[in-house]
Amino acid sequence: MDFLNAIVAFSNFVLIPATAYGAQLALGALGVTLIYGILRFSNFAHGDTMAFGAMVTILATWGLQGAGVSLGVLPTALLALPVGIAGTALLVLGTDRAIYAFYREQRAKPVVLVIVSMGVMFMMNGLVRFIIGPDDQRFADGARFIVKARDFKEWSGLREGLAIKTSQGITIVAAVLVVILLFWFLNRTRTGKSMRAYSDNEDLALLSGINPERVVMITWIIVAALATVAGVLYGLDKSFKPFTYFQLLLPIFASAIVGGLGSPLGAIVGGFVIAFSEVTITYAWKKVLTYLMPDSLDPSGLVQLLSTDYKFAVSFMILVIVLLFRPTGIFSGRAG
Amino acid sequence: MTGNPYHDDRGNKDRSITNPDGMGTTRPVKGGGVAVPVEKGGPFLIGDAMTGGYGMGADILHECTIAVEKGQIAVIVGPNGAGKSTAMKAVFGMLNVRQGSVRLDGEDITALSPQARVAKGMAFVPQTSNIFTSMTVEENLEMGAFLRRDDIRPTMEQVYDLFPILRDKRSQMAGELSGGQRQQVAVGRALMTEPQVLMLDEPTAGVSPIVMDELFDRIIEVARTGISILMVEQNARQALAIADKGYVLVQGANRYTDTGEALLADPDVRKSFLGG
Repeated sequence: MDFLNAIVAFSNFVLIPATAYGAQLALGALGVTLIYGILRFSNFAHGDTMAFGAMVTILATWGLQGAGVSLGVLPTALLALPVGIAGTALLVLGTDRAIYAFYREQRAKPVVLVIVSMGVMFMMNGLVRFIIGPDDQRFADGARFIVKARDFKEWSGLREGLAIKTSQGITIVAAVLVVILLFWFLNRTRTGKSMRAYSDNEDLALLSGINPERVVMITWIIVAALATVAGVLYGLDKSFKPFTYFQLLLPIFASAIVGGLGSPLGAIVGGFVIAFSEVTITYAWKKVLTYLMPDSLDPSGLVQLLSTDYKFAVSFMILVIVLLFRPTGIFSGRAG
Repeated sequence: MTGNPYHDDRGNKDRSITNPDGMGTTRPVKGGGVAVPVEKGGPFLIGDAMTGGYGMGADILHECTIAVEKGQIAVIVGPNGAGKSTAMKAVFGMLNVRQGSVRLDGEDITALSPQARVAKGMAFVPQTSNIFTSMTVEENLEMGAFLRRDDIRPTMEQVYDLFPILRDKRSQMAGELSGGQRQQVAVGRALMTEPQVLMLDEPTAGVSPIVMDELFDRIIEVARTGISILMVEQNARQALAIADKGYVLVQGANRYTDTGEALLADPDVRKSFLGG
C-alpha cells in the first residue's frame, strides 16, 4: 500500500506536472531550433513571441466568452487558438519584412542577427505590456480537472490523491499532435524538404530552384504557430503574465541547447530533460520518502534540494554543464 | 574583408547562438527580372563579354566570353585564380555581371535570378558543397526536381541507370558517401530538372583517376542525349580531349579559344597550360 501511495504521490507532484511542463518547453524549443537551423541565429525574441501569441489568443477568448461561445468542458481558448496563430504569424512576418530582411539582404553574420533579435525582443515585450498590461490574466474556463484528487482517493482507497488538470491533459495531447505534424511536414512534404535543404546548404538550394524568401516565410509561420501553441498551453496550465514568458526564454534555450540546436528531436528530448530536472530538484521529497522508507528512517526535513525560487538556476546549471562537456547537445544536428 | 560592418566575424563562432553552416556565400541576381527576347543565332548559351566580381569587390572577370552549342561539350581551363568558377557562377546568375550579357536560346537572361534560370532549363553543379549532406540520396534527387510538378520517377530511374550505385544507396545520407559517389549524386541532382544545359564546376576534383575516367564517360553519355555541357576542369588534357570547344582563361579574360583538338595541338597552350 505504501509503495502504491508513493507512486501516486510521485505521479501527482512530479510526473504529471513535469510532463506537461516538458511538453510546453519542447514546443517552445522547437521554434527556437527551427529558427536556428533555417534562419541560422538564436532568436531571443521567442519568449516574447509566445507572449504575443498567448495575448492575441486571450483577447480572442474574452471576445468569444463575451459572445457566450464555449467549448463545454474544454477551454474556450482552444477555439481562439487559430486567431492567435494568425495574429502572431502577421507579427513575425511583419518583423521579418521590416527588420530581418534587411540583414539577410546584407548577408549579415548570424551574430548580428542574434543582437537584432534582442532588440526585437524588447519591442515585442513592450508591445504586449502596452496592449494587455503587465499583470496576471486568467482565461482558462471549462472543467478544471480530468481526474479529481478526491474522486481518485474514493475510487482507489489510497491515502494519496491523483489529480490531472484539464490543461495538463490538453498540453500533452496537443504537444504530441503538433510534433507528429511537424515531423511529417519536415520529412514527407515537398515544402518541408525544401526547408531542410535550405538549412543544409543555402547556395545549393538556390541552384535547385528553391525560393529562399518562401522558405523563410514558411519557417516564420510555423514558428508563429509553435510559439502560440506553447504560449497558450503554458498560460492555461499556469497563468498568463508577460514577464513569466520573458523568463521562460532561459529554460527554452537550455532545452534547445541540451538537445542539440538545430535538431527538432533534440528540442523535444531537451524540453523533457530540463522540465524533469527542474521539477525533481525543486520538489520536496518528504512525502514520497515517508512512504518508501521504514518508519525509523523517516526524513525530518522537506528533502528539497533547491527552493522553487531557484528553479531557473537548474536550467542555467544544465546549460553550463552541457556547454562545457558536450556543446553540440545530445543530438548534434541540423533541422530534419 | 569588404569593410561591411555586418560581415564582422567577431563573436560569430559561438555555436550556441549562431549557425553559419551552409550559409549562402553568394549574392545572386535578385528575383523579379525578366528575360528579353533577342534575335536568334549565335550559340545556345553564351556569357558574352562578362565583367564583374563578388559583391562590391574588385572585378574578377574582364570581358570574359564563354559559350556552348546545343548538344556539345565546352570546357574551360586555366591556371588557379583565373576566374573559371567565377565565370560559371556569372553565367548562372550567382553574382551580378556589371557589363556584358548572358543569353540562352534566343533570350537575354542577364536579369533572371538563379531559380528562374533553373526553370529555363539550366543546371549547375558547384565544385564544393554540391550535395545536401543531411538528406538521403533520393531526397537530394527530389530537391533537384523541386521546380517540376510532373511525375519525376522516370527521370529518377534514368539517373539511377546512369549511376547504378546510387540506386543501392538511395536511402543513405548523402553525407556518408565516398567522394566519387557524392559527385554522382551532385550530377544526378542537376539532371533531375531535365536541363538543356548542364554546367559542371570541376566534377572530378578530389576523386581517384579510375572514378575520374568513369565520370568523364558518364558526362559524354549525358551530352549524347542532347544536353549541352559547359565544364570547368583541372585535368585540362583529358577534358580538352572530349571537348568540342575549349576556353583558356587567364586572369579573368579569354586567352585562347578554339576547338578542343586545336587547343591540344597548339604549342603555346601545351607549353603554358598542359605542362609541355
